[in-house]
This record gives sequence, C-alpha cells and structure tokens, in this order.
Amino acid sequence: MFEFLNRSKSISQIVVKRDPACRPIFMAMALALLAMVSTSISAHAQTAPLRIAAAADLQPVLPPILNQFRESTGIEVQATYQASAALTTQILNGAPFDLFLSADLSYPKRLLDAGKADTAGLSNSASPVSYARGTLVLWTRKDGHWPNPTLETLRDPSLQRIAIANPDRAPYGRAAIAALTNLKLLDTLKPKFVTAENISQTAQFAETGNADAGLISLTSAKTEHLASIGSYFVIPGNLYPPIEQGAVIVSNTPQRQNAHRFLEFLLSPPIQQQLAKSGLTPVN
Amino acid sequence: MDWQALTLTLKLSAITTAILLCLAIPLAAWLALGRSRWRLLAQAVTGLPLVLPPTVLGFYLLILLGPRTGFGRAIASLLGHPLAFSFEGLVVGSAIYSLPFAVQPIVAGFAAVDSSLIDAARLLGASPLRLVRTILVPLASRSLLAAAVLSFLHTIGEFGVVLMLGGDIPGATRTLSLVLFNQVEGFDYAAANRTATLLFVLCLAALVVVYAGPNNLATGPTSSNSRSRNRGSGND
Repeated sequence: MFEFLNRSKSISQIVVKRDPACRPIFMAMALALLAMVSTSISAHAQTAPLRIAAAADLQPVLPPILNQFRESTGIEVQATYQASAALTTQILNGAPFDLFLSADLSYPKRLLDAGKADTAGLSNSASPVSYARGTLVLWTRKDGHWPNPTLETLRDPSLQRIAIANPDRAPYGRAAIAALTNLKLLDTLKPKFVTAENISQTAQFAETGNADAGLISLTSAKTEHLASIGSYFVIPGNLYPPIEQGAVIVSNTPQRQNAHRFLEFLLSPPIQQQLAKSGLTPVN
Repeated sequence: MDWQALTLTLKLSAITTAILLCLAIPLAAWLALGRSRWRLLAQAVTGLPLVLPPTVLGFYLLILLGPRTGFGRAIASLLGHPLAFSFEGLVVGSAIYSLPFAVQPIVAGFAAVDSSLIDAARLLGASPLRLVRTILVPLASRSLLAAAVLSFLHTIGEFGVVLMLGGDIPGATRTLSLVLFNQVEGFDYAAANRTATLLFVLCLAALVVVYAGPNNLATGPTSSNSRSRNRGSGND
C-alpha cells in the first residue's frame, strides 16, 4: 500500500506547513515583542512632539510651514494627513493628536459639540478657528483632449469621466456638487462621476488619465508635479459656498500651550501670505 | 442594507475565485513539481501582493490599466471601454490581489502529496495534465477548498484596491466593503454595524463549512486510505 502523508485539518496548517523553519519564526516573534516593549518605554522617556491631524488638502502646503515653526520655536512637530472625516473619528475615539486642521468647519464643529475640542479663545467657543479658505478648480492633462479647461469643458458631450471627491464627506466634493448644481450640469454629469476618497486621490484619477478631468483643490493643482503635466481652470467662487477651513485644539492635549502657539503662528501675516502662494486664500 | 452592493460583492468574489483556481492549479503544479530554476523567483513573485499596501497596488493597477500605457489602451479597445472604474477592472485587480491566497495553499497541498505516487504515475507514462487531474487534484482537494475559500473571503473583504480602481460606482464597483467604509466615515454607525454583521455572518458561515466539512473530499479508491496513518509500513 502507498503511504499517505497526514493531511492537516485546518487551513492555517495547510498554509503554513510545520517544519524546522518554525524555530526562527518563533525567535523573530520573541524579538519583535522585545522591540515593542523597548520602544514603548523609550517613547515615554522623551517628550512627545506636537502632533497635528491635518486634512488631506494640506499635504502640499503644510510641510514647509512645519519646518519654519520648528526653526523659530524649537518645538518638535509632526503632521498626519488624512481625510478630515477619518481624523474626526479618530479624535472622537481618543487618538493622541494635539491640534486638528480640517478642510472645512463641520468636522471640527462636531468635535467642539462633543466636548472633545476647544478653540482656546482664538475664536468664539462655538465655532472653529478659521485659518484659510480653499479654492475649487477643474484640472485636465495638457496632453489630453482638453489642454486648456474652461466651464465649456464640462459641457462637452465627449467628456467621458470626471473625478470628484466623495461629496458625502469631502469638502471639495460638496463644493463640486454645489457648483455643478448652479451650472445646471449635475444631471448631465452625474453618470460620468468617478468618486474618490479624498482630494489627492481625485487628482490621481485625472492625473493617470483614467478620468478625463478632475474637480480638485487649487493646493493640489499648484503642486510641482500636477502643474507640470496639467492645467487648471478656477471655478468661479460665486458658484459654491466658501470652503472655510477650521482648526480646533484637542481638549485633553498635554501640549495645549504649543498647540496654541502653532495656531497663532499659522494665523500670522507672513504665514498667511505663504498659504496664498500655495493655493489657499488667507483669512485676514 | 445595500443589497445591490452585496450581490455585486458575491459576484466579484465568485468570478475572481473561479479565475484564480484556473490560474493557480497549473501554476502551483509547476511550482511544486517543476524543475525550472525560475520556480523560486516565480513563487516569490506570486507572494508580492501580500507585501504592497492594497491602495498602492490599486494605484499601480490604475496606471497599468489606464490610457497612458499600451497595455491599458489594448484592453480598452478589446472591451470597448477602459478597465478602470468598471466591474471587469475590479476582477483583474482582485485576481492579482488574492493571487497568493489561491497559490500558496495549493502549492503546499501538492507538495504534500506522496512523491512515490507521482513517480509511479510518471513511470506509467502519465502526462503532466493527467498527473494533475487524476493524482494531485483529488489528493490535495482540501488544499483546493482552502484556496477557494481564502480567495473568496479575501476578495469579499478587499478594500484598498477597490477604493483606488473602482471609483465607487453603484452597481458596477461599489462593493460591500466600500459601503461599510462610507457608513463609518459618515458616522452612520447603526448602518455600519448591520453591514459588518452581515459580513461577519457570511464569512463565519463559510469558514465553518470549511472546518466542519467532510474530512476528506477526495473521490475514488484512495479516499478510504487517505486518513490512515500507516507510517513506514516499509515496502514502497
């Protein structure tokens, strides 16, 4: 008779066969555990940096400002860039951020209403601190069919797909819907929408040529990469409600003073002028 | 409950699993029994989707399948529409994303088949195709089932690739994992709980079927012996 190998009964054993190679795996696991313990000890030993939760549209804008803040104050600062909605959920659930820079006012307001954040007297306590205003643009590739986009581009029947950010949560997506509604183009264009998670992904859809055009932020359109391969048309500001960007300080932050300093720095005239260069409208 | 998204997800998972089994069985047979020097590299490459963050994998697929590459243009002219933001595009993305989950269990299963059986079949002049069909597949049926279930479940839970490649189009690319993500992001936790519960029940049931199923799905004269553990009975 033929001899058969034991056939294992569980999927995991099928995927990972038992053999002497398991020993290094256990060693590695032990080492990883050790590393985890040691990093958590060292993380407590040094002072934590100022942690900023920043909306995705700030990714092209904020890094140089963080550098200047570091140089002028000596305070270590780091930023995490994600969709404002995701950051809000994280802060509501106790994520260790000190300051939240949103792409709109509704998300930081949600945190204020939940008692999870405050404005430290920089604005009236019921509304977030407005630090900039966003601008919506129509972006296309220079080597596509519409190298110089205008509002007429949106009316072109040969336009197959247009990328927008998810209007349920992305401020620029909401602005895009408002603008198209005012232009009476929403019904025509709705079947052509491809929806992205946030503003940088919207730009990726158009940049890779998978969408013919994208309604994106001016901050994205002004980045070196997108400026070199595409052109943009600024959607007139009277077509959509202003994209006010608001900030709040997370209530239980151990770094209240530093967070406050950063906000004041962000609102100072030289930094506000810098925002204008990178596609955000200053507030003062 | 978004039933349209549920049926779309099940359809995507079923088609992806079918395609993957067709791809993975010959590939795994070659990896487990072949003699080529390239096998090691090929096996490593099939594992790569485990390494890349799904959104990054989705981004690369977006470039590859887009109109800026010859490949993307060729596919678009074949189908009559670009692959990105279409159901077919998700099938391609899912097949790549779940490839390791199909290939690796089958390779392990084929490698575990008694080599004397394989040698005997080869001596008797069985073609590679026949060897796979009559020896490997029946004896490694549990691994095939595992590969199918893992591929299916992995595709059901797939998120990053769908997010990058799909464009969230209802009825075409809006899968259940995307619906769940949208519900959570929109603070609609009650709806999110319902969707997550559905996913849990679905996947738990599938896994229970696999674990509790008959211990041996092999057919034919070998099945009665397959669980006997006659270690070293000597004369083989």
